[in-house]
This record gives sequence, structure tokens and C-alpha cells, in this order.
Amino acid sequence: MNEKIRVDNLTFYYGDKPAIKNISLSVREHSVLALIGPSGCGKSTFLRCLNRMNDIIPNTRMEGDILIDNESITGHRYDITGLRRRVGMVFQKSNPFPKSIYENIAYGLRINGIRNRYEIESIVEQSLKSTALWDEVKDRLNESAMGLSGGQQQRLCIARTIAVKPEIILMDEPASALDPISTQKIEELIQDLKEKYTIVIVTHNMQQAARVSDYTAFFYIGDLIELNSTDVIFTKPDLEMTENYITGKFG
Amino acid sequence: MATHFEQELENVTIKIFKMADLAIEAVTKSVEALKAADMNLAKKVIEQDTALDVLEKEIDEECIRILVTRQPAAVFLRLVLVILKSNTDLERIGDLSSNIAKECIRLSGKPAMKALVDIPRMASIAVEMIKDAFAAISEKDADKAREVIKRDDEIDELNLQVYRELFSYMIENPYIVSQALGLIMVAKSLERIGDHVTNIAERSIYYIEGKDIRHGSNE
Repeated sequence: MNEKIRVDNLTFYYGDKPAIKNISLSVREHSVLALIGPSGCGKSTFLRCLNRMNDIIPNTRMEGDILIDNESITGHRYDITGLRRRVGMVFQKSNPFPKSIYENIAYGLRINGIRNRYEIESIVEQSLKSTALWDEVKDRLNESAMGLSGGQQQRLCIARTIAVKPEIILMDEPASALDPISTQKIEELIQDLKEKYTIVIVTHNMQQAARVSDYTAFFYIGDLIELNSTDVIFTKPDLEMTENYITGKFG
Repeated sequence: MATHFEQELENVTIKIFKMADLAIEAVTKSVEALKAADMNLAKKVIEQDTALDVLEKEIDEECIRILVTRQPAAVFLRLVLVILKSNTDLERIGDLSSNIAKECIRLSGKPAMKALVDIPRMASIAVEMIKDAFAAISEKDADKAREVIKRDDEIDELNLQVYRELFSYMIENPYIVSQALGLIMVAKSLERIGDHVTNIAERSIYYIEGKDIRHGSNE
């Protein structure tokens, strides 16, 4: 399988303080990489570097390089809007637009230049189907998305993300505010989505990392401690530090 | 201070070591009873097998509870797995010792064919293997576990020797066929005990190194 993302010696500063230090790793296409580690270890910062979401935070600086499909995305002139279309993101708190369910998905399509109504309708339906939401909302597409349950809202946000056909999906604790059944649906979804997308997910729930990911990266105070196949991380990690973290001995 | 979780692991670990002690006692006493034609001791071995059965169920229940409630990972997961698996092997060692004791009772009253040499040797190797397998677990010493696995060959060799010897006895004297077959059964039970200890030692290597070395893989 191909290398989809490559990160070389990435350091990211908030002011003078590095939040992540000299991180190098690569992510294979159509795989799920989980980022784990205690709060403040830099995993969310790292995630946000991958679609340059940190650019909007003042007084920050990035060193090193990030390549997607062997092309650097860190240049000043790089088309960030185009990047974010390719690299979609789902947040911890679902954030649907205060519009109808239909519009939540159609909006992104229109600003991406899709005008044909039938095409939009078809993509809305496909996206809702692939997030297993279609049957639950097909009779009320024109109702406000704010009336959906938390789990449905989160799946709508994922539907909205995949509607514009990204290549990579970043997820920042996508299920941490959801009940177990909604969580299970999101996890099922992640496993279905990896057939088409490359996924990087931050999670505090280690069982979730074990269930959904192919590779797991353990971060600690800005350092990448260990990146290994998820099976290895959760049965016999190479480093004692990783073992201590996943067995709850610290963190 | 140990967390509640660590305390739970500690409790179930203590139980599996207790079970290992009981298994050692069962193997030792069953062969002692056979050697000394001691019916009372043989009966005791059979009675005490219940303790192993009870512990087996308790350990299973505790491991299941830990798996469900704690979802252990890494070294803790491997520890629970080695306990869960060894549990079955130890219970079987208890059953095989009972079989030896039953054979001892069946053979009672019949004239001794010959002094027992190889069978007690098999038993003492088996007992050392159990001790070392559990020492390997508590000391996290994978080399010790590998030694245990190698020693199983000695038991296998002795089993063949016993078989060959008793086979020639039976040809010479058909009146002792029943006794000789009894002793062959005993040797076979000890050979099976060696296999169960080997399983435990293999599992302990998985616990210590995370490697599955069964069936010649990974080594």
C-alpha cells in the first residue's frame, strides 16, 4: 500500500514553546492511524497540522515538513482551501450548521461548484447512506439539523465531510461525547470508511483505538514515543513507556 | 500503592500459584502411593482433585470478570491470558494424577512386578517442570521457560523406555499383562502431564516476551 501522508521532523510552537517536537512518521493509504496519549501530549496539535488548521491560531510556528502524496503542504503559497477539501475534519463536538439536514451537506457541494440539483441530491443521499443516517432522516431532510440527537449530528458532520470526497479524514475524539450505541455506530463507520479514505483519529478511549485502528501512535509531552501496528501496541508494545501508559500505570 | 485493578490481578495470580502447588502435590502423591502401594494416599489424591476443580472455576470467573470490567492491555492482558490458559492445563494435570491414583487402587493386592524406577523419575521431572514453569512466570524468565519445554523430551524418552520394558515383560509372562498395562497407563499419564506443563511454559513465554512459540512458530 502507498504512503499517503509523510511527516518529516515536524515541530510546532505555540509562542516559544514546542507543543510537538521533531515528529516523523508516515501513514499508509486506506489505513486508520490512532493517536493516543495523555492530555497535553500534542496529539490534537499534530492532527491539526495535517490540514493546517493551526494556521488560524496567532503566534504559532511550524518547522519540518508534511507531505501528502509526496507533495509538501507546508509552503506559504500552498492552496489551503484545496488542502482542507482533500483533508476533511470531524471534531469532538458535533457542529452542524444551523440549517436543514439537507443543506448541511448541500452547502459544501455548492461552494465546491456543484450546481446540478440532481447531482447534489444524489450525493446527499449517498453521504447519508454511507454514514448509516439515511433511514433515520430521509423523511425529514428539510428539518433543522439541530433537532437531531448528538450521535446523529456527529454522523451528519461525517456525512458532510465525506460529501466533498476528501482523501483523508481527521477525527478529533469523534465519539467522546456520545452514548455507547452512537459510539458503536461511529466506530463501525470508521471501519467502513477506511476502504475509501485514509483516517487519522485522536482518541482518549484506548479500547476505541484498539478496535478501529490499524496503527497506533503514542505521544507523550510532545514526543512521538512509539508508532506500531495496533495489535502490537495493545499486546506487546516495544517500549516500556507505552506499556505503562496503556496499562494505566501513568497518564 | 496498588490500584484495585492490580489487586485483582494479584489475587488471581495467587490462586493460580496455589493451583500449581496442588497439582505438584497431586502428581507427587499419586506416584508415591503407587510406589508404596498405599491405598489411603491414593484415595486422598482422588479426593483432593475436587480442590483443583473448584479453583479452576474460580480462576476462570475472576479472569472473565477482569476481561469484562478492566479490558486489560499489554502485560496485563498477557498475564490474564497465561492464567486463563494455564488454569485448564493444571486442572488436567490434577485429573491425570487422579487417574494414576485410580490405577494404583486397581493394581492393589497384585504382586509387585518389579521395583519402580522410571515412573518415579518421570514424576519428579514433571514436578520440577511445573515448579520451573511457574518460577519463569513469577521471575519473568523466558529462558527458564525454554528449559522447561526442553525437559519434556526427557519425559517422552522415559515413557518410551517404560513401554518397551513392560512390553518385553508381557511377552515373557502373560500373567502380568494387566499390571503391565496399568503401569503403561501411568507412564502415559505422566507423559501427558509433561505436555500440559509444556503448554504452560509456552504460554509463559507469550506472557514474558509477547511471542507465540507454539508449534515451532516464531522461534
